[in-house]
Amino acid sequence: MFRFLSHVWNRFKEYFILTLLVILSLTLLSQNNKPQIQKVRAFAFGSFAIVSSVFYDLFNITQLKNENITLRQTNAELMLQLSTLREQGILNNELIGLLKFKDTTSLPITPATIVSKSLSITQNTITINAGTLNGIKPGMPLITYKGLVGIIQDCSDNFSIARTLNNVDLKLTVKNEKNRLNGIMKWDGEKLTIIDVPKAYDFGIGDRIVTSELSSIIPVPIPVGIVNKIEEEQTGLLNLVQVTPFEDVMTVEHVFVMMIVENEEKNKLELNFYNRK
Amino acid sequence: MKLKFFIPIFVFFPVVLIQLTVIPFVSVQGVVPDLLLIAVVYLSISYGQIFGTVTGASYGLLYDFISGTLIGSHMLSKTVAAFVAGYFSSETKRDKYLYTYSFSVVIFISGLIDATIFSFFSVIDFNTNIFLALFNHALMPSIYSSIVSIMVVIAPYRRTFQ
Repeated sequence: MFRFLSHVWNRFKEYFILTLLVILSLTLLSQNNKPQIQKVRAFAFGSFAIVSSVFYDLFNITQLKNENITLRQTNAELMLQLSTLREQGILNNELIGLLKFKDTTSLPITPATIVSKSLSITQNTITINAGTLNGIKPGMPLITYKGLVGIIQDCSDNFSIARTLNNVDLKLTVKNEKNRLNGIMKWDGEKLTIIDVPKAYDFGIGDRIVTSELSSIIPVPIPVGIVNKIEEEQTGLLNLVQVTPFEDVMTVEHVFVMMIVENEEKNKLELNFYNRK
Repeated sequence: MKLKFFIPIFVFFPVVLIQLTVIPFVSVQGVVPDLLLIAVVYLSISYGQIFGTVTGASYGLLYDFISGTLIGSHMLSKTVAAFVAGYFSSETKRDKYLYTYSFSVVIFISGLIDATIFSFFSVIDFNTNIFLALFNHALMPSIYSSIVSIMVVIAPYRRTFQ
């Protein structure tokens, strides 16, 4: 019997090892949301990010010149916008005071630099040099001056990992800024698409897309992108609306984390995927 | 203890460091070469199928933790890719597949398998055109990786680990 088992092992050991490792992988795939796994992940990427941040800075110096030119141009544009907005803000405050509306408070933001990128066509993630010690929590939005970049997925003490818009696991409730129509936007591996849009919905090419107040992850309107194509779904009943993001996540270097405190009351009512255990 | 058991550990960290910091600068339409796969295939051909399969699984798991992708997804794809690459490893075949341009062909085949399996856990759903998805998500990265792997063939220090 022993000789038989030994013979079988010697003959098929490669296949046994492969099967064992495949089963182990599949088991881990089903355990992704376990807190223990998330703790190990936070420790692993936190430790590695310390080293990668040094390397990334070295290779990033060449990009700084181009970025400075863009920033100067953006600064000038923003200065013009700011003066217009100031006028409108004064008027808005007066009107709010007259109507006795509760206004939203300003949202604090924390600057961060990207220290590494895991460029995958489907599961694009970035690591930033701000973590729980800076007050960062999973679920906080990551933005630039152009618009939304992604959502914080996991944090260690000094670093955080974020899912970018180019990640199939990130699904967002967005709306058309023009007519306030809502939809679910996701990355399908090639493009950002608002899925299952009824044909009666008035989406047009060039419409600006922002995050929706209905979202339990990002409850403030942040610019996401612009509609560039509308195509019919396979069933013929619905439309797929393609969106070109304002920010190219492939080239972004510096980001801001919006320190949005989750609305507990709202999250108790809605199923926020970050709260699923 | 044989030196070969430590080689994957020494190789892993520099390779991942380059993959996450330098490689994003050479991406073409979001497609990047997979240096980790090239390392796994190299080790699999050099030291045999079992060694390669275990190395592939370990590399994949560590990369999943470091990069923030779905835990187990790279582990599964790298395991199978390394296992397949192991078929190109034997006393008679080793030199042929390691030190000639055949290495790039092996990288292409392994890369195709690696990316196909990885795609199944990330992009494939009922609305996806499977063939189109595989073309974009498996074929392109495999071609890029196989082109980059030519550097391994022409590198003068390729026999260092032998």
